[in-house]
Amino acid sequence: MNEKLLFLIPLLPLAAGVLNALFGRRLPRALVAGLAVGGVALATLSTVVFWPLAAGEGTRATLYTWMASDNLRVPVAILFDPLAASMSLMVTFVSTLIHLYAVGYMAEEGGNARFFALLNLFVFAMLTIVLADNLLLLFLGWEGVGFCSYALIGFWFREEKNALAGRKAFLVTRAGDVFFGIAMLWLFAATGTLSISGINQAASALPPDTLFWLTLLLLTGACGKSAQLPLMTWLPDAMAGPTPVSALIHAATMVTAGVYLLGRLFPLVSLSPAGMATIAAVGALTAIYAASCALAQREIKRVLAYSTMSQVGYMFLAVGVGAVGGAMFHLYVHAFFKALLFMGAGCVIHLTGGENDIHRMGGLGRRSPLVFWSFLAGALCLAGAPLTGGFFSKDAILLAAFVAGGLYFKILWGIAATTALLTAVYTFRLLYLVFAGAPRTAGASHRLPAAMTWTLPPLALLGVFGGLFNLPTAWGGDGALGEFLGPLAGEQVHASHALEWGLAGLATGLFLVGWLAARWRYASYRGERPSPAKTFFLHGWQADRLVDVLLVRPFRVLADFFWQWVDRKGIDGFLEGGGASLMRLGGALRRLTTGRVHSYLAGFAWGLIAILAWMLAGFIE
Amino acid sequence: MAAILFYILAATALGATLMCITRRNPVHAVIYLVNAFFALALIFYILGAPLVAAWEVIIYAGAIMVLFLFIIMMLELAPTETPRGPGWRRWGPVVVLSSVLLGCTVALILADPGGGAAIPTYYASPREFGYALFHEYALAVQVVSFQLLFAAVGAYYVGRSGPGAMETAEDREGSP
Amino acid sequence: MIVPMSHILIFSGIMFFLGFACVLAQRNLIMILIGVEVMLNAVGVTLAGASALWQQVDGQIFVIFLMAMTSAEVSISLAVVVYLSRRKKTIEADAFSEMNG
Repeated sequence: MNEKLLFLIPLLPLAAGVLNALFGRRLPRALVAGLAVGGVALATLSTVVFWPLAAGEGTRATLYTWMASDNLRVPVAILFDPLAASMSLMVTFVSTLIHLYAVGYMAEEGGNARFFALLNLFVFAMLTIVLADNLLLLFLGWEGVGFCSYALIGFWFREEKNALAGRKAFLVTRAGDVFFGIAMLWLFAATGTLSISGINQAASALPPDTLFWLTLLLLTGACGKSAQLPLMTWLPDAMAGPTPVSALIHAATMVTAGVYLLGRLFPLVSLSPAGMATIAAVGALTAIYAASCALAQREIKRVLAYSTMSQVGYMFLAVGVGAVGGAMFHLYVHAFFKALLFMGAGCVIHLTGGENDIHRMGGLGRRSPLVFWSFLAGALCLAGAPLTGGFFSKDAILLAAFVAGGLYFKILWGIAATTALLTAVYTFRLLYLVFAGAPRTAGASHRLPAAMTWTLPPLALLGVFGGLFNLPTAWGGDGALGEFLGPLAGEQVHASHALEWGLAGLATGLFLVGWLAARWRYASYRGERPSPAKTFFLHGWQADRLVDVLLVRPFRVLADFFWQWVDRKGIDGFLEGGGASLMRLGGALRRLTTGRVHSYLAGFAWGLIAILAWMLAGFIE
Repeated sequence: MAAILFYILAATALGATLMCITRRNPVHAVIYLVNAFFALALIFYILGAPLVAAWEVIIYAGAIMVLFLFIIMMLELAPTETPRGPGWRRWGPVVVLSSVLLGCTVALILADPGGGAAIPTYYASPREFGYALFHEYALAVQVVSFQLLFAAVGAYYVGRSGPGAMETAEDREGSP
Repeated sequence: MIVPMSHILIFSGIMFFLGFACVLAQRNLIMILIGVEVMLNAVGVTLAGASALWQQVDGQIFVIFLMAMTSAEVSISLAVVVYLSRRKKTIEADAFSEMNG
């Protein structure tokens, strides 16, 4: 097969998106939806068809050279290796299901063409990130997902809070992108190339200091897109967008782009032990921060947003200890069950007639069993119920952290284990408050479109049985994903089967404790009891206020200073002052022309004095 | 003898001029000026210009000063009580200014070494004068006569009143 | 022998500046014109003295031209003074200051 056909994978959604953007308004709804779904579905098909090309070292394909100047070469090139192939398959498949779901979700909304065009463009940008062989091309996709995310979060922009949420997301991720940009420039200066394979090869020649700072810069860029500390304030607010957007962008794809970047540049990043330790610490701390906040949230989607933040923290932790295979495993399984949970949340919101607050829901288990069972499957995966996909993937990460060596990583493992407990608690809290008990609102019961309900079970199955993708040898499996990724899976995790069993038992114990605690507290609804602690966690440890005080207010003061003092008084004052003083000078000079003859005659007299004085002076010398 | 006469006449002329310029009543000033012109005419004669002396009296004192008097009388600018002239507030700075100028001029004059020698006597007879006038300066004479014609026409036009006169701003404001 | 040229020049200089002072100090338009006459006459004396110094008649010829020009100038100036007095009913020089500013 011609390897240039690999470009079909990103270009098919792009084509569908462009067609919808240009002509979608004049086309019937069904055609718009069909184009959108068709674009991504064909991309999925292409990925499957081209799967053999990914084996071993992968395939490289170049379409044309985008930029070439001096020794900078930026070809539009694809690197289709196992990492890219598996990621693109996950992205396209989940996108297809979510597009189908969105057809049902947006059936009664306006702006159809814009929505589907942006969704397709987003998939194109994400696939560019996944498949790019060149950092600049990856950055193109990086910025593309940022823009599409902004446009989609603020999709219902006529409500100001939605537009503000979109803007916040854009600005915070952009702040991370600045660091990524600096890293790119530095990498080019240090290695002379922007090609990912080239950089990975040249990485071993760089001095350790450079490697550490580069890792830190790349980490900050990844934190922006993946909503990790300290650039995480945008993700909870991003839930203002439509649910398919939350499911696709903020569960499965964009937030994992950071992990993927670090995975792609792992040969570079792994050479800096301090950098890896920082990555792991960021991941673990974000995980526990987000889990603590999820415990106090009231809106169903915000619980899931913080949950996403927490789980992506796990992935960062895995990358930090060297287990890229484990991180990718968790990434895929998480994508399945988190997208499922978001889609289920969308169904729940639909069922309650637009209600978002879980304290006002209840008893939905009886109203739609399909939604309930799918949601339950996803929730069990999230909480790490034994033998689900989530259990195996989380366990792999915990094991890798435990055996990473040193007190430092043991502490991080402890934090991660505590987070697992908290995860179980908030997951079951969500389940009990939404589905169990008696309904707390008499909401009108909306009929759910088939597209919304029947896209849930496939994801549920993938989530529950996802463990089979990478079953560890201790359980009788062969670690298929790890084998497939080969050297791209990072460092091998060497642990005895006894240790694995022990940690698995511990994880099961944490799951049970969390479930029982949630059941004791939330199974029968006792009403809300607000407290300062709950408010603190509800507002994300007041992170927004911290950012406001540290960054926004000084910036406003500075901007005000430049506006009032430098621009108004300084520049305008200078110009106007110059003009005014010239006018005053003119006014003063005008007083010389009195219109009276005697003044002019006096002028004659003075002139005559001057001339005579000059002549005298000439004579005296 | 001529030298002494010159000094006496110079003093007279200067005194009369001084009186002239400090008068408040224009008629008095004109009379004093006529006095000064007579002295000047004699000075011209001493300097050897008898024709110029005659013309000084005929044209200057006889025509120009009389014209001044005519206009003053016509404009009724010499009321029975003397009008207020400029006081020391106006004269003070002018005196200072003029003295400074005069001082500079005198210094310049005295700085010239050639000015100390006395002028030899000279006498230009009318015949000599006329010959030079119409021989070398004939063109200038023609130009001057044109000039006098223009002046006459201009003075007639400016001074006209009644229909065909120059429009004043007040006339313009009155008419619609 | 008559007086040295410097004496004539000093005499005409004093007369000239007397006329100049009259022009500067007096507020009456007529008095200004009289000052101008004085100045012109002073110049005439200088010219006649110079003619005697150089023993030529040209200086005196210039005096006659001077007188001719003066008479032309006086007639027009007095016609203008008449016109102005008809306009403003006064001949104070300060009254005619429309060209100020």
